[in-house]
Amino acid sequence: MNKGCLVALREYHENLRTKTFWIGIFFFPLVLVLSIAVPRFLESQKEVRRFAVVDRSGWLAQRVLEDADLPDLEAVLRDLRGRAAAGEDDPAWPEQIRTLAGELGKVPEDQLRGIAESLARAQEALTLHPEALASLPPAQREQIEHELESFQAWWRGLSAEDARGLESVDLARQKYDYVHAPEAQDETAWAEQALARGEIFAWFEIDGDPVTGEGRFLYHSRNLTDGNLRNWFQKHVNDVVQSRRFETEKIREDVVRKIQKPLVFTETITDETGQAREAGSRDKASQFLPMAFVYLLWISVFMVAQMLLTNTIEEKSNRTIEVLLSSVSPLQLMSGKIGGIAATGLTVVLSWLVFFFLVVKVGLPLFGIAPPFDLAPLLANPRYILGFVVYFLLGYLLYAGILVGLGSVCNSLKEAQNLMMPVSVMLMLPLFAMFPVVNDPNSTLARVLSYVPTLTPFVMMNRAAGPPPLMDYVCTTIILLVTILLVFWAAAKIFRIGILMTGKPPRLGEILRWLRAPIGVIPDRSDD
Amino acid sequence: MGNDDYSLIIDGVTKRFGAFTAVDDLSLRIPRGAIYGFLGPNGAGKTTTIRMIMSIIYPDSGRIEILGHPRAEEVKDRLGYLPEEKGLYKKMRAGEIITYFGRLKGMSGADARRRARELLDRYGLPDWFGTRCESLSKGMGQKVQIMASIVHDPELVIFDEPFSGLDPVNVELMRDLILDLKRQGKTVIFSTHVMEQAEQICDFIFLIDRGKKVLDGPLSAVRRSGGESIKIDYDGDGEILRRLPGVARVNDAGKTAELFLEPDTDPQSILSALVGKLSIRRFDLSEPSLHEIFVRSVKRMSHE
Repeated sequence: MNKGCLVALREYHENLRTKTFWIGIFFFPLVLVLSIAVPRFLESQKEVRRFAVVDRSGWLAQRVLEDADLPDLEAVLRDLRGRAAAGEDDPAWPEQIRTLAGELGKVPEDQLRGIAESLARAQEALTLHPEALASLPPAQREQIEHELESFQAWWRGLSAEDARGLESVDLARQKYDYVHAPEAQDETAWAEQALARGEIFAWFEIDGDPVTGEGRFLYHSRNLTDGNLRNWFQKHVNDVVQSRRFETEKIREDVVRKIQKPLVFTETITDETGQAREAGSRDKASQFLPMAFVYLLWISVFMVAQMLLTNTIEEKSNRTIEVLLSSVSPLQLMSGKIGGIAATGLTVVLSWLVFFFLVVKVGLPLFGIAPPFDLAPLLANPRYILGFVVYFLLGYLLYAGILVGLGSVCNSLKEAQNLMMPVSVMLMLPLFAMFPVVNDPNSTLARVLSYVPTLTPFVMMNRAAGPPPLMDYVCTTIILLVTILLVFWAAAKIFRIGILMTGKPPRLGEILRWLRAPIGVIPDRSDD
Repeated sequence: MGNDDYSLIIDGVTKRFGAFTAVDDLSLRIPRGAIYGFLGPNGAGKTTTIRMIMSIIYPDSGRIEILGHPRAEEVKDRLGYLPEEKGLYKKMRAGEIITYFGRLKGMSGADARRRARELLDRYGLPDWFGTRCESLSKGMGQKVQIMASIVHDPELVIFDEPFSGLDPVNVELMRDLILDLKRQGKTVIFSTHVMEQAEQICDFIFLIDRGKKVLDGPLSAVRRSGGESIKIDYDGDGEILRRLPGVARVNDAGKTAELFLEPDTDPQSILSALVGKLSIRRFDLSEPSLHEIFVRSVKRMSHE
């Protein structure tokens, strides 16, 4: 076997035995799993926020609670109707509600909001006559009305804890629970005590005329850091108050809405053949996907190159270099090291990619979580995966050459860190440039940066969604390859001398002289 | 002898590091199958010479011919080398490391492994094949390195300070190993600054000081060149030794001493002068030790 391969193989085997390698393998999956699991766990652990309202206006609280119910009701009705259409049945839902689902299937979808409104507004359970049902034949209408009445009764009695059982919908009722003051008690005094005892999370005090805005509107809580409840309640108060103001000013609300209706530009995307289609979230994701790859690329290149640096210095302080050099040439040793560590890095990175696909394809569906984006464009487009692997290798080779040369002249990691400074700064650049480049992948800035060989792998990866013209791919790759060859030539010369050297690291001038010196000659170390 | 009879020929080699001349116009011929000792104090140029032989660094001028080739790189697989700076991969197992170096010298995996086991068995570490190097003691680690340097059965073996850091038992083992190699017809070069070790096993010695050759030749010839000396073991006050008539110089170590006589002094007169003054346990007439020869030569050189 080639001696360089033997060196590489040994490096690889040895790396498999280090803790760092296994930490590297498991680090990314752990972060990925935690970033999905932790927010969900925290959400599920969050307590129901109980709140009370002391309303001295006499009308606002009731209307706000109705208004707040509206989105919840609509969501539930929609879910039921969708279920009926798909022929699914969720045993978590109570019996009397599931029968409603079948009936709702006959109602046109755009009527659901109307039904939700009438369910929310109705003061009394038995006086439900939604106008929304006017279009249906009388017999069917009666049937639905009957079902809706029992639905309403169930809804009114639904506690926050029970609402949490309805996992397929996201409801305010699951998070916020309105608590009545007991009969025959002073509301304010009760609310103050309940808050002090921790029975409620907060209470709202409406002490003034909401329409004019005069008076005091207070939010009492023992914990001001969580503003979600206040924001949620405030939003609904403003909805209600706004409607009331329109009324008092004799302005028709529907006219206002008509005037305020915004115009929205729908994004379309045109491909090379001139075909235009509406852009979906998938296109957005693929536009920003390169950024994820740049991060991953950056972390991998940095991690693996760093490994090489540490390894070189370790070898030097291990004093194994000299005996190795009696068996292999410095070039074989260097290329073996670079190859062995590249294999290690590639193993780690590929294990990450495999894990990532497993999570998205198998893991997420298993837990019923919708994947944040579709993998299809990623797999269909070689610019991502193939580009990633190629740019990882090229980027790694470039930085490996720089760092192995650097490592060979240092006696300790501490010395190396000083010399690493300029390299680190160079490596930071693509991160700073990431947002401007992803926003405009074919801008002059992006093109110029991609022609700087030390940035090429990152910036070209960053531009992948552009996509960049073929010429940019070809030219930057050629420049990068030439640079890698130059760096390797220089690294080999420095390595050969540096690896046997002890004492203070050489200065730049000294290194330049090494580069000019013929092989095997160690230039004078006296001052330059 | 023709050039084929030499494993190594060094011809007028000079190496400078800046203003410092590490090796100055050195010429040496090392016959096949010999044990050749490179002797000299620390910093004399031994390691630089060895590194040049191994092509780790190149001479500024002069010529080296090793196993008939101008550069060690061309015959790497026929050379065994143990550098002065010795280290092992901490995470690797002893057997693995020997196998690895064997493979780097072109052996097949199976051969290298078999040979590694053989060496560990023969030189006293039979149960250590699977031990990680980080848990080996310094001496054991050094033995593993020595084995790694001869695993591929090299024709020419170069050991730089092989005895340093070894306990007496292992020094003996190392000596046996070198003699084994000689018996198998290999050429062995080793460096040391402890003269006694060289005296015991070398066929030839080469003394170097401050980059210059001081002495070179077969051990017996070198020693004969030093005249006669008397070695004594004694108890008592050694001060008297210095006042003896006919004695040019004394190396007194307290319990043993070496006396160097002026020309024409009869050793018998020394013995009779000492009787009754010191309790003599041994009285030996012999050639001077290498140590003495070395000290004299260095002195002579610095006077010139």
